[in-house]
Amino acid sequence: MIPDRIDIAWIVLLGLALATLLVPPLVARPLLGNALLLIFAALKGRRIVLDFFDLRAAPALWRGLVSAWVLIVVLFAWLASAIVALV
Amino acid sequence: MSTTDCEQGETGWGILEGLPGDPMIWVLIFSELAAFGLFLGAFVVARAIHPAMFAAGQATLDSHLAGLNTLVLVTSGWAAARATAAARASRRQAARGWLFAAMALGAFFIATKLFEYAGEIVLGNGLETSPFFTLYFLLTGFHLMHVCLGIVILALVSRSASVTGVETGAAFWHMVDLLWIVMFPIIYLVQQ
Repeated sequence: MIPDRIDIAWIVLLGLALATLLVPPLVARPLLGNALLLIFAALKGRRIVLDFFDLRAAPALWRGLVSAWVLIVVLFAWLASAIVALV
Repeated sequence: MSTTDCEQGETGWGILEGLPGDPMIWVLIFSELAAFGLFLGAFVVARAIHPAMFAAGQATLDSHLAGLNTLVLVTSGWAAARATAAARASRRQAARGWLFAAMALGAFFIATKLFEYAGEIVLGNGLETSPFFTLYFLLTGFHLMHVCLGIVILALVSRSASVTGVETGAAFWHMVDLLWIVMFPIIYLVQQ
């Protein structure tokens, strides 16, 4: 069986989920570690939006709204942690 | 405006047309995303105000168990996506099989989460222990309720396994998956 877009998205998601678990023990600096964790979360969210939700063919407004939700939440989380680390 | 135009205007979904599944599920999905977004925002702000308390609370959580649950939920989302593909290809029996796989993995997620809660309670951590644990139990508990509801929805749509039904159930399930993907690092892993 040849893996299709859904299978590839699943493999990418598993890889990113495992990479997420490796960040805390391998990256000691919170600013960088948090950035990596949240970038991985955004990438996983993007794969779910495009390939699991299947919003690739949906109107750009809805695809953009769900993607923007992921970006806003992870950016806010990173900014808050960065401000606390720098102040 | 003709009678036909009026009828189309009353029955059509306007800008919600083109989304997979029943458009009503998308009204629910956008409402849930807004609610969880605000809730996660509150968690992030509270952590910025009490960084030491949140770091101490986070240190007692079992991030490996939660990480395992991420793999389980992602795989469950994959099974739901496969169910949608099978339903679209008119393979109803296969669609049912994939839906049952998604539900079984969802049930595993619930069992693991309850085991994790039991571990926290044994350590003496509860809803009123600290603001961290209040938000932790409320956020993850609210999400767990959605996992339970998602399993019920998948079970209901598996009866007919129609294309719209499966797309609708899978869309809700992917929302549950997406919420966890964002919640997991913010609650368990982000350091102060």
